[in-house]
Amino acid sequence: MGVNETFAKVLSAFPQARLVAFADLATSMILASQGRDDFTQESLDRLVLQARTSFDDPLFSLSVEAFGEPHSAIVMEAAGIRVFLRSESEPADALCCICDHSIDLAAFLARIRDTLDQISSGG
Amino acid sequence: MNKAIIPIVARLQALQTASHVVSGRMRTIAEGSDRQPLAALLREVNETVLGRTLAFASGAGPQVTLEVAGRRVLRLVAAEGIAGADACLAAHTLDDGHKDDLIRILQAVTPRGHPVSVGSHPIGRGGDEVSVGLPVALLADLLLIDLDALPGSAGSTPASLPDNQALDMPLTGAMLQRFALQFGPSLMAWLIIGGDDDGAFAGPDEMVSHLGGFLDNEGAALSAQLDRLATHPGGAVSLMLGASLLEGHGTLCARQGGGLLLGLLEGETAQLLPRAWATALAKG
Repeated sequence: MGVNETFAKVLSAFPQARLVAFADLATSMILASQGRDDFTQESLDRLVLQARTSFDDPLFSLSVEAFGEPHSAIVMEAAGIRVFLRSESEPADALCCICDHSIDLAAFLARIRDTLDQISSGG
Repeated sequence: MNKAIIPIVARLQALQTASHVVSGRMRTIAEGSDRQPLAALLREVNETVLGRTLAFASGAGPQVTLEVAGRRVLRLVAAEGIAGADACLAAHTLDDGHKDDLIRILQAVTPRGHPVSVGSHPIGRGGDEVSVGLPVALLADLLLIDLDALPGSAGSTPASLPDNQALDMPLTGAMLQRFALQFGPSLMAWLIIGGDDDGAFAGPDEMVSHLGGFLDNEGAALSAQLDRLATHPGGAVSLMLGASLLEGHGTLCARQGGGLLLGLLEGETAQLLPRAWATALAKG
């Protein structure tokens, strides 16, 4: 199953998810994405920069000190939720997602963590 | 005083002081001046061994009806004037998965500054299922409430929290504080600097002190990090980091207005986040 097909299944399972994208944080590039709406290249570029910012200092350092290296980040605003997951085996691999507030966030996190693991492992 | 005597004295004192009959055969268990009305509610449950239906009403308006037996909360029968009670109301019997929701419901029915009364009625069903339900001792532990402390004594308030920062405080205050309180005990320690809630905090002194030191040194950098994440400059924004956010620990920061919240999380916090954020924003 290709990445786009995998993302389509995630969007189908979670109607509150508006975008799922696979990014290379090292180069700040979105490599694949599926969304319900039209996302411009500029908005995708901004999204991957926000992923990098989320896993940046100073909150990153506090987290490492408190419980170890974080691999998950959630950004909340009035307009919605952004979820960023980093691969534990390939730290540059990341999923960047945009969702509505009504999403079952625990179930969504579990699903996209599996999805990221599959992509990073080449499965 | 012999420690074994404390719960007996507490019971005697409760019987002699706060209890009096009000309209509708309700009994007042906490006055408006009570520092911790939620503790009074939990003590009523703790003293209920045989199956009863207990209806609690706050002078502020919210009401809940619980089926209680064996010092356990078996079921939430009704909730009026309280948002987010649907999951507990739908549960045939409350279990561990409902404890966070139930704590928020009980906090909502015991806001400070308002009296709380209780009415006791026969239970609607057998009431013999004492092996299920949520033990009141568990709820008290999560809320850092000592069920055996003398009502109104210092021991009835978490020692590490100042008077105005107990965990059972109503969901009032400015947005950041409401956001923090929505997490209940899952937000182990938190601190707000700046804005309308400047200086508000809760949690063990050592953790809060560490958060304060971090904000002293990195507050400006943290605010800049949130600036880079905010869609609108200066807009309300929150960032949570964790290993998985499905379990274990995490860090939480949020900014709104001139205030900056920083906290340490524990447990399944991801599922709490959207509702906490939406509720805090909605009440703004």
